[in-house]
Amino acid sequence: MKKTRKNTVILAKNISKSYLLRTERPTAIEKIFSKKKTNRRFALKNININIKQGERVGVIGNNGSGKTTLLKILAGITQPTSGKVLVRGKVVSIIDITAGFHLDLNGIENIFLNGLIIGLRKQEINQRLDKIIKFIDIGDYINAPLYTYSAGMILRVGFSVAIFSNPDILLIDESFAVGDEIFRKKAIQKFEEFAEQQKTLVVVSHWPGFIKKNCNRVIHLKKGKIVHDGGLDLLDLYFTMPQC
Amino acid sequence: MNKDKFRYWLDFNIALAFKEIKARYKYTVFGFLWMFLNPVLQMLVIGFVFRFFVPVRVDNYFLFLFSGLLIWNFFSISITRATPMFVYERSLIQKAKFPREAIILSIIFSNLFHFVISIFLLLIFVFLTSSVSVKGLLLLPVIVVWLTILTSAFSLIFASLNVRFRDVNFLIQAIMPIWFYATPVMYTINLLPKNLYWLFHLNPMTSLVELMRYSILNIPLSNSTFLISGLFITILILIISMKYFKKENIYFDDWL
Repeated sequence: MKKTRKNTVILAKNISKSYLLRTERPTAIEKIFSKKKTNRRFALKNININIKQGERVGVIGNNGSGKTTLLKILAGITQPTSGKVLVRGKVVSIIDITAGFHLDLNGIENIFLNGLIIGLRKQEINQRLDKIIKFIDIGDYINAPLYTYSAGMILRVGFSVAIFSNPDILLIDESFAVGDEIFRKKAIQKFEEFAEQQKTLVVVSHWPGFIKKNCNRVIHLKKGKIVHDGGLDLLDLYFTMPQC
Repeated sequence: MNKDKFRYWLDFNIALAFKEIKARYKYTVFGFLWMFLNPVLQMLVIGFVFRFFVPVRVDNYFLFLFSGLLIWNFFSISITRATPMFVYERSLIQKAKFPREAIILSIIFSNLFHFVISIFLLLIFVFLTSSVSVKGLLLLPVIVVWLTILTSAFSLIFASLNVRFRDVNFLIQAIMPIWFYATPVMYTINLLPKNLYWLFHLNPMTSLVELMRYSILNIPLSNSTFLISGLFITILILIISMKYFKKENIYFDDWL
Protein backbone atom coordinates (compact mmCIF):
# COMPACT_ATOMS: atom_id res chain seq x y z
CA MET A 1 0.00 0.00 0.00
CA LYS A 2 2.77 2.42 -0.80
CA LYS A 3 1.64 5.71 -2.16
CA THR A 4 3.62 8.44 -3.81
CA ARG A 5 4.01 11.52 -1.76
CA LYS A 6 2.02 13.93 -3.81
CA ASN A 7 -1.21 11.98 -4.00
CA THR A 8 -4.34 13.96 -3.51
CA VAL A 9 -6.32 12.33 -0.72
CA ILE A 10 -9.07 14.88 -0.18
CA LEU A 11 -10.62 16.75 -3.05
CA ALA A 12 -13.56 19.08 -2.54
CA LYS A 13 -14.94 20.43 -5.78
CA ASN A 14 -17.08 23.51 -5.50
CA ILE A 15 -19.06 22.26 -2.53
CA SER A 16 -21.86 24.22 -0.96
CA LYS A 17 -24.06 23.36 1.95
CA SER A 18 -27.26 25.16 2.70
CA TYR A 19 -29.68 24.64 5.53
CA LEU A 20 -33.28 25.62 5.90
CA LEU A 21 -33.38 28.41 8.40
CA ARG A 22 -36.30 27.74 10.63
CA THR A 23 -37.44 28.53 14.08
CA GLU A 24 -39.80 25.57 14.09
CA ARG A 25 -39.45 22.28 12.36
CA PRO A 26 -42.10 21.76 9.71
CA THR A 27 -44.67 19.18 10.72
CA ALA A 28 -46.50 17.01 8.23
CA ILE A 29 -49.61 19.13 8.55
CA GLU A 30 -47.77 22.37 7.95
CA LYS A 31 -46.02 20.92 4.96
CA ILE A 32 -49.28 20.06 3.29
CA PHE A 33 -51.17 23.22 4.11
CA SER A 34 -48.62 25.93 3.75
CA LYS A 35 -46.32 26.63 0.89
CA LYS A 36 -44.22 29.15 2.73
CA LYS A 37 -41.07 30.25 1.03
CA THR A 38 -38.22 28.70 2.88
CA ASN A 39 -35.26 30.72 3.91
CA ARG A 40 -32.02 28.97 3.01
CA ARG A 41 -28.74 29.85 4.62
CA PHE A 42 -25.41 28.80 3.29
CA ALA A 43 -23.09 27.22 5.80
CA LEU A 44 -20.52 26.68 3.07
CA LYS A 45 -20.36 28.31 -0.31
CA ASN A 46 -18.31 27.17 -3.30
CA ILE A 47 -15.49 25.59 -1.38
CA ASN A 48 -12.58 24.16 -3.33
CA ILE A 49 -9.96 22.26 -1.40
CA ASN A 50 -7.23 19.93 -2.51
CA ILE A 51 -5.37 18.19 0.27
CA LYS A 52 -2.42 15.96 -0.50
CA GLN A 53 -1.19 13.02 1.46
CA GLY A 54 0.84 14.00 4.47
CA GLU A 55 -0.52 17.50 4.67
CA ARG A 56 -1.62 18.65 8.08
CA VAL A 57 -4.28 21.25 7.70
CA GLY A 58 -5.56 23.51 10.44
CA VAL A 59 -8.96 25.06 9.80
CA ILE A 60 -9.60 28.34 11.59
CA GLY A 61 -12.44 30.82 11.63
CA ASN A 62 -15.02 32.39 13.89
CA ASN A 63 -18.02 30.58 15.30
CA GLY A 64 -20.50 29.84 12.56
CA SER A 65 -17.98 30.15 9.77
CA GLY A 66 -18.61 26.61 8.58
CA LYS A 67 -15.63 24.78 10.04
CA THR A 68 -17.54 21.92 11.55
CA THR A 69 -19.83 21.63 8.55
CA LEU A 70 -16.78 21.26 6.35
CA LEU A 71 -15.40 18.58 8.60
CA LYS A 72 -18.71 16.73 8.65
CA ILE A 73 -18.89 16.74 4.87
CA LEU A 74 -15.34 15.43 4.57
CA ALA A 75 -16.19 12.75 7.11
CA GLY A 76 -19.32 11.73 5.23
CA ILE A 77 -21.62 12.48 8.14
CA THR A 78 -23.65 14.79 5.96
CA GLN A 79 -23.87 15.44 2.23
CA PRO A 80 -23.11 18.72 0.49
CA THR A 81 -26.08 20.41 -1.14
CA SER A 82 -24.07 20.73 -4.31
CA GLY A 83 -20.56 19.90 -5.41
CA LYS A 84 -18.45 16.83 -5.09
CA VAL A 85 -16.18 15.36 -2.44
CA LEU A 86 -13.62 12.68 -3.07
CA VAL A 87 -11.78 11.14 -0.17
CA ARG A 88 -9.20 8.42 -0.56
CA GLY A 89 -8.11 6.16 2.27
CA LYS A 90 -9.41 5.22 5.67
CA VAL A 91 -10.97 8.22 7.37
CA VAL A 92 -11.51 8.54 11.08
CA SER A 93 -13.39 11.57 12.28
CA ILE A 94 -13.54 12.81 15.82
CA ILE A 95 -16.11 15.52 16.04
CA ASP A 96 -16.92 14.67 19.62
CA ILE A 97 -14.83 11.88 21.07
CA THR A 98 -17.34 11.00 23.74
CA ALA A 99 -20.40 10.80 21.49
CA GLY A 100 -20.59 7.01 21.40
CA PHE A 101 -20.13 6.34 25.07
CA HIS A 102 -22.56 4.61 27.33
CA LEU A 103 -22.14 5.70 30.92
CA ASP A 104 -23.40 2.46 32.46
CA LEU A 105 -20.83 0.32 30.66
CA ASN A 106 -17.25 -0.03 31.80
CA GLY A 107 -14.11 1.28 30.15
CA ILE A 108 -13.29 -1.78 28.09
CA GLU A 109 -16.85 -2.17 26.85
CA ASN A 110 -16.78 1.46 25.84
CA ILE A 111 -13.49 1.03 24.01
CA PHE A 112 -15.15 -1.59 21.82
CA LEU A 113 -18.30 0.45 21.35
CA ASN A 114 -16.49 3.63 20.48
CA GLY A 115 -13.98 1.80 18.32
CA LEU A 116 -16.74 0.27 16.23
CA ILE A 117 -18.46 3.62 15.94
CA ILE A 118 -15.40 5.31 14.51
CA GLY A 119 -15.05 2.48 12.04
CA LEU A 120 -12.62 -0.04 13.51
CA ARG A 121 -13.09 -3.72 12.91
CA LYS A 122 -13.64 -5.87 15.97
CA GLN A 123 -10.42 -7.84 15.56
CA GLU A 124 -8.49 -4.60 15.13
CA ILE A 125 -9.74 -3.44 18.52
CA ASN A 126 -8.90 -6.81 20.03
CA GLN A 127 -5.37 -6.56 18.70
CA ARG A 128 -4.84 -3.06 20.06
CA LEU A 129 -6.77 -3.38 23.29
CA ASP A 130 -3.70 -3.72 25.52
CA LYS A 131 -1.98 -0.77 23.89
CA ILE A 132 -5.09 1.38 24.17
CA ILE A 133 -5.58 0.52 27.85
CA LYS A 134 -1.94 1.26 28.52
CA PHE A 135 -2.21 4.59 26.76
CA ILE A 136 -5.33 5.58 28.68
CA ASP A 137 -3.46 4.75 31.85
CA ILE A 138 -6.21 5.03 34.45
CA GLY A 139 -5.50 1.80 36.30
CA ASP A 140 -8.37 -0.24 37.69
CA TYR A 141 -10.87 2.33 36.58
CA ILE A 142 -10.86 0.66 33.19
CA ASN A 143 -13.17 -2.00 34.65
CA ALA A 144 -15.48 0.47 36.34
CA PRO A 145 -18.58 1.97 34.73
CA LEU A 146 -18.01 5.24 32.95
CA TYR A 147 -20.22 7.28 35.24
CA THR A 148 -17.63 6.90 37.96
CA TYR A 149 -15.00 8.57 35.75
CA SER A 150 -13.96 12.17 35.89
CA ALA A 151 -14.53 14.23 32.76
CA GLY A 152 -10.84 14.12 31.94
CA MET A 153 -10.75 10.33 32.21
CA ILE A 154 -13.66 9.96 29.80
CA LEU A 155 -11.89 12.18 27.29
CA ARG A 156 -8.77 10.10 27.68
CA VAL A 157 -10.66 6.95 26.73
CA GLY A 158 -12.19 8.58 23.67
CA PHE A 159 -8.97 10.16 22.56
CA SER A 160 -6.96 6.97 22.96
CA VAL A 161 -9.38 4.88 20.90
CA ALA A 162 -9.25 7.49 18.15
CA ILE A 163 -5.49 7.76 18.17
CA PHE A 164 -5.06 4.00 17.87
CA SER A 165 -7.55 3.71 15.05
CA ASN A 166 -4.65 4.03 12.64
CA PRO A 167 -6.39 6.00 9.89
CA ASP A 168 -4.92 7.39 6.69
CA ILE A 169 -6.80 10.58 7.28
CA LEU A 170 -7.68 11.94 10.68
CA LEU A 171 -10.34 14.64 11.01
CA ILE A 172 -10.53 16.32 14.39
CA ASP A 173 -12.77 18.99 15.81
CA GLU A 174 -11.39 21.05 18.69
CA SER A 175 -11.80 19.80 22.24
CA PHE A 176 -8.86 17.46 22.25
CA ALA A 177 -6.77 19.53 24.58
CA VAL A 178 -7.53 16.65 26.85
CA GLY A 179 -6.30 15.50 30.17
CA ASP A 180 -3.47 16.74 32.27
CA GLU A 181 -0.01 17.81 31.20
CA ILE A 182 1.37 14.26 31.17
CA PHE A 183 -1.38 12.93 28.98
CA ARG A 184 -1.22 15.93 26.68
CA LYS A 185 2.46 15.30 26.11
CA LYS A 186 1.71 11.71 25.18
CA ALA A 187 -0.99 12.90 22.82
CA ILE A 188 1.26 15.44 21.13
CA GLN A 189 3.87 12.76 20.69
CA LYS A 190 1.31 10.57 18.94
CA PHE A 191 0.47 13.42 16.59
CA GLU A 192 4.14 13.76 15.74
CA GLU A 193 4.29 10.05 14.93
CA PHE A 194 1.32 10.64 12.66
CA ALA A 195 3.22 13.32 10.84
CA GLU A 196 6.24 11.09 10.41
CA GLN A 197 4.08 8.37 8.93
CA GLN A 198 2.86 10.79 6.27
CA LYS A 199 -0.71 10.67 7.50
CA THR A 200 -3.12 13.39 6.59
CA LEU A 201 -4.59 15.51 9.32
CA VAL A 202 -7.39 18.05 9.24
CA VAL A 203 -7.93 19.90 12.50
CA VAL A 204 -10.46 22.50 13.45
CA SER A 205 -8.99 24.43 16.31
CA HIS A 206 -8.93 27.67 18.21
CA TRP A 207 -5.69 26.78 19.81
CA PRO A 208 -2.94 28.48 17.80
CA GLY A 209 -0.23 26.67 19.70
CA PHE A 210 -1.51 23.31 18.56
CA ILE A 211 -1.85 24.34 14.92
CA LYS A 212 1.57 25.88 14.93
CA LYS A 213 3.07 22.72 16.26
CA ASN A 214 1.16 20.15 14.25
CA CYS A 215 0.05 21.73 11.01
CA ASN A 216 1.80 22.87 7.89
CA ARG A 217 -1.13 24.49 6.16
CA VAL A 218 -3.88 26.80 7.37
CA ILE A 219 -7.31 27.37 5.90
CA HIS A 220 -9.25 30.36 7.15
CA LEU A 221 -13.00 30.23 6.73
CA LYS A 222 -15.24 33.24 6.98
CA LYS A 223 -19.00 33.06 6.55
CA GLY A 224 -18.76 29.84 4.62
CA LYS A 225 -16.04 30.91 2.26
CA ILE A 226 -12.33 30.36 2.19
CA VAL A 227 -10.60 33.67 2.71
CA HIS A 228 -7.08 32.36 3.11
CA ASP A 229 -5.41 29.12 2.27
CA GLY A 230 -1.73 28.88 2.83
CA GLY A 231 1.16 28.46 5.20
CA LEU A 232 1.46 28.89 8.92
CA ASP A 233 2.25 32.61 8.58
CA LEU A 234 -1.51 33.13 8.26
CA LEU A 235 -1.84 32.13 11.86
CA ASP A 236 -0.08 35.16 13.25
CA LEU A 237 -2.19 37.34 11.04
CA TYR A 238 -5.41 35.76 12.22
CA PHE A 239 -4.74 35.57 15.89
CA THR A 240 -3.30 39.02 16.22
CA MET A 241 -6.04 40.54 14.12
CA PRO A 242 -8.84 42.14 16.12
CA GLN A 243 -11.78 39.76 15.81
CA CYS A 244 -14.72 41.36 14.10
CA MET B 1 -21.27 -4.97 0.12
CA ASN B 2 -18.08 -6.98 0.30
CA LYS B 3 -17.30 -9.56 2.93
CA ASP B 4 -15.18 -7.37 5.17
CA LYS B 5 -17.74 -4.60 5.17
CA PHE B 6 -20.52 -7.02 5.96
CA ARG B 7 -18.46 -8.46 8.79
CA TYR B 8 -18.04 -4.98 10.23
CA TRP B 9 -21.72 -4.25 9.79
CA LEU B 10 -22.62 -7.43 11.60
CA ASP B 11 -20.12 -6.86 14.43
CA PHE B 12 -21.40 -3.36 14.82
CA ASN B 13 -25.00 -4.46 15.09
CA ILE B 14 -24.18 -7.21 17.53
CA ALA B 15 -22.11 -4.87 19.69
CA LEU B 16 -24.92 -2.34 19.84
CA ALA B 17 -27.48 -5.03 20.61
CA PHE B 18 -25.37 -6.35 23.46
CA LYS B 19 -24.94 -2.84 24.72
CA GLU B 20 -28.74 -2.61 24.79
CA ILE B 21 -29.07 -5.85 26.70
CA LYS B 22 -26.18 -5.26 29.08
CA ALA B 23 -27.16 -1.70 29.89
CA ARG B 24 -30.72 -2.79 30.57
CA TYR B 25 -29.76 -5.22 33.31
CA LYS B 26 -26.86 -3.40 34.85
CA TYR B 27 -27.40 -2.49 38.47
CA THR B 28 -30.50 -4.59 38.91
CA VAL B 29 -30.35 -7.06 41.79
CA PHE B 30 -31.49 -10.02 39.69
CA GLY B 31 -29.45 -9.04 36.65
CA PHE B 32 -29.91 -11.29 33.65
CA LEU B 33 -32.35 -13.40 35.64
CA TRP B 34 -34.93 -10.79 34.68
CA MET B 35 -34.85 -12.17 31.18
CA PHE B 36 -36.51 -15.30 32.52
CA LEU B 37 -38.44 -13.73 35.37
CA ASN B 38 -40.23 -11.28 33.16
CA PRO B 39 -41.99 -13.73 30.86
CA VAL B 40 -42.75 -16.08 33.76
CA LEU B 41 -44.37 -13.28 35.74
CA GLN B 42 -46.32 -12.31 32.66
CA MET B 43 -47.51 -15.88 32.23
CA LEU B 44 -48.59 -16.05 35.87
CA VAL B 45 -50.53 -12.82 35.67
CA ILE B 46 -52.31 -13.77 32.49
CA GLY B 47 -52.94 -17.27 33.77
CA PHE B 48 -54.42 -15.94 36.97
CA VAL B 49 -56.64 -13.32 35.35
CA PHE B 50 -58.03 -15.66 32.74
CA ARG B 51 -58.94 -18.43 35.10
CA PHE B 52 -61.90 -16.32 36.05
CA PHE B 53 -62.54 -14.50 32.85
CA VAL B 54 -62.67 -16.36 29.57
CA PRO B 55 -64.18 -14.27 26.78
CA VAL B 56 -63.56 -16.73 23.95
CA ARG B 57 -64.43 -20.40 23.80
CA VAL B 58 -61.23 -22.16 22.91
CA ASP B 59 -59.48 -24.98 24.66
CA ASN B 60 -56.80 -23.74 26.95
CA TYR B 61 -57.39 -20.01 26.59
CA PHE B 62 -54.32 -19.23 28.63
CA LEU B 63 -51.95 -20.75 26.08
CA PHE B 64 -54.03 -19.35 23.24
CA LEU B 65 -53.63 -15.84 24.61
CA PHE B 66 -50.05 -16.10 25.74
CA SER B 67 -48.69 -17.33 22.42
CA GLY B 68 -50.45 -14.49 20.62
CA LEU B 69 -49.29 -11.91 23.13
CA LEU B 70 -45.71 -13.05 22.77
CA ILE B 71 -45.78 -12.26 19.06
CA TRP B 72 -47.65 -9.03 19.53
CA ASN B 73 -45.49 -7.72 22.37
CA PHE B 74 -42.31 -8.23 20.40
CA PHE B 75 -43.80 -6.34 17.49
CA SER B 76 -45.32 -3.45 19.41
CA ILE B 77 -42.57 -2.94 21.98
CA SER B 78 -39.89 -2.93 19.29
CA ILE B 79 -41.71 -0.43 17.10
CA THR B 80 -42.68 1.92 19.91
CA ARG B 81 -39.14 1.94 21.19
CA ALA B 82 -37.46 2.21 17.80
CA THR B 83 -39.57 5.02 16.34
CA PRO B 84 -38.04 7.95 18.28
CA MET B 85 -34.58 6.37 18.32
CA PHE B 86 -32.90 8.38 15.57
CA VAL B 87 -33.95 11.52 17.37
CA TYR B 88 -32.75 10.25 20.75
CA GLU B 89 -29.40 9.27 19.29
CA ARG B 90 -28.96 12.57 17.50
CA SER B 91 -25.70 13.37 19.24
CA LEU B 92 -24.21 10.23 17.81
CA ILE B 93 -25.65 10.68 14.34
CA GLN B 94 -24.35 14.22 14.13
CA LYS B 95 -20.88 13.28 15.21
CA ALA B 96 -19.91 9.98 13.71
CA LYS B 97 -20.24 8.10 10.48
CA PHE B 98 -21.52 4.60 11.01
CA PRO B 99 -24.32 2.40 9.66
CA ARG B 100 -27.29 4.19 11.14
CA GLU B 101 -29.75 1.38 10.65
CA ALA B 102 -27.81 -0.34 13.45
CA ILE B 103 -29.47 1.96 15.97
CA ILE B 104 -32.82 0.45 15.01
CA LEU B 105 -31.64 -3.10 14.42
CA SER B 106 -29.89 -3.24 17.79
CA ILE B 107 -33.23 -2.66 19.48
CA ILE B 108 -34.87 -5.34 17.39
CA PHE B 109 -32.03 -7.79 18.07
CA SER B 110 -32.06 -7.22 21.80
CA ASN B 111 -35.83 -7.70 21.88
CA LEU B 112 -35.43 -10.77 19.70
CA PHE B 113 -33.09 -12.21 22.29
CA HIS B 114 -35.74 -11.82 24.96
CA PHE B 115 -38.43 -13.08 22.62
CA VAL B 116 -36.57 -16.31 21.93
CA ILE B 117 -36.08 -16.92 25.66
CA SER B 118 -39.80 -16.42 26.21
CA ILE B 119 -40.60 -18.89 23.44
CA PHE B 120 -38.43 -21.51 25.09
CA LEU B 121 -40.12 -20.97 28.42
CA LEU B 122 -43.49 -21.27 26.74
CA LEU B 123 -42.41 -24.47 25.01
CA ILE B 124 -41.31 -25.98 28.31
CA PHE B 125 -44.69 -25.15 29.76
CA VAL B 126 -46.50 -26.65 26.76
CA PHE B 127 -44.39 -29.80 26.93
CA LEU B 128 -45.31 -30.27 30.56
CA THR B 129 -49.02 -29.66 30.20
CA SER B 130 -50.00 -30.96 26.78
CA SER B 131 -48.54 -32.44 23.63
CA VAL B 132 -46.61 -30.69 20.90
CA SER B 133 -46.39 -31.66 17.26
CA VAL B 134 -42.88 -31.75 15.85
CA LYS B 135 -44.17 -30.56 12.50
CA GLY B 136 -45.50 -27.42 14.10
CA LEU B 137 -42.26 -26.72 15.92
CA LEU B 138 -40.34 -26.75 12.68
CA LEU B 139 -42.42 -23.75 11.72
CA LEU B 140 -41.15 -21.68 14.67
CA PRO B 141 -37.92 -20.44 13.06
CA VAL B 142 -39.90 -19.34 10.01
CA ILE B 143 -42.24 -17.36 12.24
CA VAL B 144 -39.36 -15.74 14.11
CA VAL B 145 -37.59 -14.73 10.90
CA TRP B 146 -40.74 -13.36 9.31
CA LEU B 147 -41.69 -11.45 12.44
CA THR B 148 -38.19 -9.99 12.75
CA ILE B 149 -38.17 -8.81 9.15
CA LEU B 150 -41.62 -7.29 9.44
CA THR B 151 -40.82 -5.54 12.72
CA SER B 152 -37.50 -4.22 11.39
CA ALA B 153 -39.14 -2.88 8.25
CA PHE B 154 -41.84 -1.02 10.15
CA SER B 155 -39.40 0.25 12.77
CA LEU B 156 -36.97 1.53 10.18
CA ILE B 157 -39.52 3.46 8.17
CA PHE B 158 -41.27 4.93 11.22
CA ALA B 159 -37.98 5.97 12.77
CA SER B 160 -36.79 7.53 9.51
CA LEU B 161 -40.05 9.40 9.03
CA ASN B 162 -39.87 10.58 12.62
CA VAL B 163 -36.66 12.46 11.87
CA ARG B 164 -38.53 14.91 9.65
CA PHE B 165 -41.99 14.60 11.08
CA ARG B 166 -41.92 14.25 14.81
CA ASP B 167 -45.64 13.56 14.72
CA VAL B 168 -44.93 10.00 13.70
CA ASN B 169 -43.95 9.12 17.23
CA PHE B 170 -47.31 10.27 18.58
CA LEU B 171 -49.13 8.58 15.77
CA ILE B 172 -47.48 5.26 16.54
CA GLN B 173 -48.38 5.55 20.20
CA ALA B 174 -51.98 6.08 19.20
CA ILE B 175 -52.08 3.44 16.50
CA MET B 176 -50.52 0.56 18.43
CA PRO B 177 -53.48 -0.10 20.77
CA ILE B 178 -55.87 0.02 17.82
CA TRP B 179 -53.63 -2.28 15.85
CA PHE B 180 -53.68 -4.66 18.81
CA TYR B 181 -57.45 -4.99 18.63
CA ALA B 182 -57.26 -5.35 14.87
CA THR B 183 -55.04 -8.39 15.35
CA PRO B 184 -56.61 -11.62 16.57
CA VAL B 185 -54.63 -11.85 19.77
CA MET B 186 -57.49 -12.04 22.26
CA TYR B 187 -60.06 -13.54 19.94
CA THR B 188 -60.35 -15.82 16.96
CA ILE B 189 -61.18 -14.46 13.54
CA ASN B 190 -64.22 -16.64 13.00
CA LEU B 191 -66.00 -14.67 15.73
CA LEU B 192 -66.08 -11.71 13.38
CA PRO B 193 -68.31 -11.06 10.35
CA LYS B 194 -66.81 -12.01 7.01
CA ASN B 195 -67.02 -8.45 5.68
CA LEU B 196 -64.23 -7.45 8.05
CA TYR B 197 -61.80 -9.93 6.55
CA TRP B 198 -60.19 -7.37 4.25
CA LEU B 199 -58.77 -5.79 7.39
CA PHE B 200 -56.99 -8.98 8.34
CA HIS B 201 -55.68 -9.31 4.84
CA LEU B 202 -54.03 -5.93 5.23
CA ASN B 203 -52.54 -6.83 8.59
CA PRO B 204 -49.56 -9.19 8.33
CA MET B 205 -49.69 -9.69 12.09
CA THR B 206 -52.82 -11.79 11.59
CA SER B 207 -50.92 -14.57 9.89
CA LEU B 208 -48.07 -14.40 12.37
CA VAL B 209 -50.32 -14.78 15.39
CA GLU B 210 -52.26 -17.58 13.75
CA LEU B 211 -49.12 -19.33 12.60
CA MET B 212 -47.75 -19.20 16.12
CA ARG B 213 -50.88 -20.84 17.45
CA TYR B 214 -50.79 -23.44 14.75
CA SER B 215 -47.16 -24.16 15.50
CA ILE B 216 -47.46 -24.49 19.26
CA LEU B 217 -51.09 -25.37 19.97
CA ASN B 218 -52.04 -26.97 16.69
CA ILE B 219 -54.94 -24.59 16.16
CA PRO B 220 -55.66 -24.56 12.41
CA LEU B 221 -55.33 -21.36 10.40
CA SER B 222 -58.64 -19.64 9.79
CA ASN B 223 -57.91 -18.81 6.19
CA SER B 224 -54.74 -19.54 4.27
CA THR B 225 -55.13 -16.52 1.96
CA PHE B 226 -54.09 -14.37 4.94
CA LEU B 227 -50.68 -15.93 4.57
CA ILE B 228 -50.28 -14.82 0.99
CA SER B 229 -51.46 -11.26 1.54
CA GLY B 230 -49.44 -11.03 4.75
CA LEU B 231 -46.28 -12.15 3.01
CA PHE B 232 -46.90 -9.80 0.12
CA ILE B 233 -47.40 -6.81 2.42
CA THR B 234 -44.31 -7.69 4.42
CA ILE B 235 -42.16 -7.66 1.30
CA LEU B 236 -43.77 -4.44 0.13
CA ILE B 237 -43.14 -2.67 3.45
CA LEU B 238 -39.57 -3.96 3.52
CA ILE B 239 -38.82 -2.56 0.07
CA ILE B 240 -40.43 0.81 0.76
CA SER B 241 -38.73 1.04 4.13
CA MET B 242 -35.26 0.29 2.78
CA LYS B 243 -35.69 2.64 -0.17
CA TYR B 244 -36.83 5.50 2.03
CA PHE B 245 -34.11 4.93 4.59
CA LYS B 246 -31.43 4.77 1.93
CA LYS B 247 -32.60 8.00 0.40
CA GLU B 248 -33.05 9.87 3.66
CA ASN B 249 -30.35 8.70 6.05
CA ILE B 250 -27.61 10.76 4.41
CA TYR B 251 -29.59 13.89 5.28
CA PHE B 252 -30.48 12.92 8.87
CA ASP B 253 -27.84 15.28 10.17
CA ASP B 254 -29.63 18.27 8.63
CA TRP B 255 -32.80 17.51 10.53
CA LEU B 256 -31.51 16.52 13.92
